[in-house]
Amino acid sequence: MQRREFSKLLALLACPWPTGALAQAGGSDWSERFALALEEFPWLAAWGNIDRDHYRSDAEISGRWPEELNGTLYRTGPAGHEVFGYRNHHWFDGDGMVHAWRIGGGGVRHEARLVETAKVKAERAAGRALYPGLAAAPPGAAGLTGPDDLNLANTSILHHHGRLLALWEAGSPYEIDQDDLSTVGPYAFAEPGGASNMRGVPFSAHPRVDVDGSVWNFGYASTAGLLVFWHIGADGSLRNAGRVAVDPMTMPHDFVVTERHLVLLLPPFHYRPRANAEGFLNMHVWTPEDPCRVLVVDKNDLSSHFFLELPAQWVFHFGNAWEDDAGVIRFDAARAPDPSIMTQTFTGIMRGDPDYARAASHFGYRLDTRARTIAEEAMLEPGIFTEFPSIDPRVGCRQYRKLVFLSQNDREPAEHGTLNAVNLFDMESGQRDSFRYPDTQIPEEHLYVPRPGSEPEADGWILGTAFDWERGRQILNLFEAERVADGPVAAAELPYAIPLGLHGKFVES
Amino acid sequence: MKTAKLISACLLAVLLGVYTQVSAETLTIVIEDIREASGALQVQVLAGQAQFEGEGAVAQFIEPAAEGSVTLTAENLPPGEYAIRIMHDVNGNDELDANFVGAPTEPYAFSNNAKGMFGPAKWEDARFTLEGDVTQVISLIH
Repeated sequence: MQRREFSKLLALLACPWPTGALAQAGGSDWSERFALALEEFPWLAAWGNIDRDHYRSDAEISGRWPEELNGTLYRTGPAGHEVFGYRNHHWFDGDGMVHAWRIGGGGVRHEARLVETAKVKAERAAGRALYPGLAAAPPGAAGLTGPDDLNLANTSILHHHGRLLALWEAGSPYEIDQDDLSTVGPYAFAEPGGASNMRGVPFSAHPRVDVDGSVWNFGYASTAGLLVFWHIGADGSLRNAGRVAVDPMTMPHDFVVTERHLVLLLPPFHYRPRANAEGFLNMHVWTPEDPCRVLVVDKNDLSSHFFLELPAQWVFHFGNAWEDDAGVIRFDAARAPDPSIMTQTFTGIMRGDPDYARAASHFGYRLDTRARTIAEEAMLEPGIFTEFPSIDPRVGCRQYRKLVFLSQNDREPAEHGTLNAVNLFDMESGQRDSFRYPDTQIPEEHLYVPRPGSEPEADGWILGTAFDWERGRQILNLFEAERVADGPVAAAELPYAIPLGLHGKFVES
Repeated sequence: MKTAKLISACLLAVLLGVYTQVSAETLTIVIEDIREASGALQVQVLAGQAQFEGEGAVAQFIEPAAEGSVTLTAENLPPGEYAIRIMHDVNGNDELDANFVGAPTEPYAFSNNAKGMFGPAKWEDARFTLEGDVTQVISLIH
């Protein structure tokens, strides 16, 4: 055989291929430390562990669930925080559990099931924790062939073209059976006819649905230094994909889409791989003297892009964005001064050592695509921390004025110290309609659900869950969107509580 | 002179034969978890770290893929430190196909079933000592 026949084999099997790199760390007594802390801070139960892989119950109803509200709230979140006695060192390292809150006929049924990822199956077969996470690795961690070895399917939900997908940040979407929530497996979007070289390509957790029903998303491949862009047609097939080289790479979590552009913020949390770093986060360096790069990509030509700069900042989530005829983009984000919530708070909480420093507050941005300028401005009074922004899904990628988000007033924090209120914020009037949860409950993401047949942003509900740490129950609450301060008009309570999840989607029946 | 040459040649053959009997080893490679009987398995036996991390191979095979497992034998190898790498070229294009960001999308594997950390296995994990007859049972990574 000729040597050249092996040239491609050699090239690929002799060099690192582009994903990310993680190394091993020592074992931990984090389970014990967490159990001790739970006695002092009982609300830490929200970051406890699941006691089974499958939950199912009718919910106990209070108030009146509207007859016209029929559908399912699908959610996912890190829930399996301990693997054979090994407690994960980061909130986002928990094995994903997908929930379905099925609403209809005045009742609510709940079901939740652990996603049977390749990781879960391999660890069950081995009888121990095998894989490294964001902040550490279990003793004797296994080798990794790619990011899907670590895929947790624990971050968000996409329901597209009749398919239910549980998303993670750095790997493939996981397809979930909508009826019984069993795991179908990793899903690869393909071109019509089935051709695809997108298998295993990172598909981030915050795809955006455009007005034509198509879906935009991005993904980041750290060692390749590549951002990938996806455009999935309303028919579920891959319409286009693009790549933009980014050096140094960072960890973008969300992005926004306008009439003409895709916009990403690239915080100066730079990917600097080094041997023996304990976990993927520790392969990143926060350099606040560097700007937060803003990447603006042309939707019609994914190779066409430009960069702008903002002061260093850390953003997990955006609400929405739109672009006017003059090429000016407006968008909003929950903006933190640095990533300490990711690097410290979410590890500390797993160790039973809560520390809520440097939370995000809400900012509005004005990006002029022609003058190539960008400016930012605080949207709320100082001391109001925000997260989990969402919008009426009918105004996605288009002009909007109302935002739903969770908040915490720093002057009146809850006992548990984290987000404790749900809000509907009118960006034009500046009016904020807010409901503060009891201190015994920690709210999870709340979503705007349109009333069938209504005009966008005019009439709807706000639907969201809360973790009652005192009674060990999870509660689904429904608010009239225009009367949030009145509190829930209906609730559905479960006889159990599952650790705090992240994001979801409401799918109308 | 002719006779002398012949004797020399015979002597050399005998000497080589003796050497072969004493010092040449047989490496058996069992490749498992072959999921498709299409294309070919490309296998390289690599002598030492330099070859593992560089170019060339002491033995190379291109073997039609069969579902299940395939067994190959490399004979007359001097004793020493070796590693093996395998790819299943499913579509027969002589390349290890990669996805949009460069990660392999066709099956591959290394000796000792070694895996890397987001990349190919390291020499330290894939190396083995060939002394006497050795069998490496290697499952493809999909």
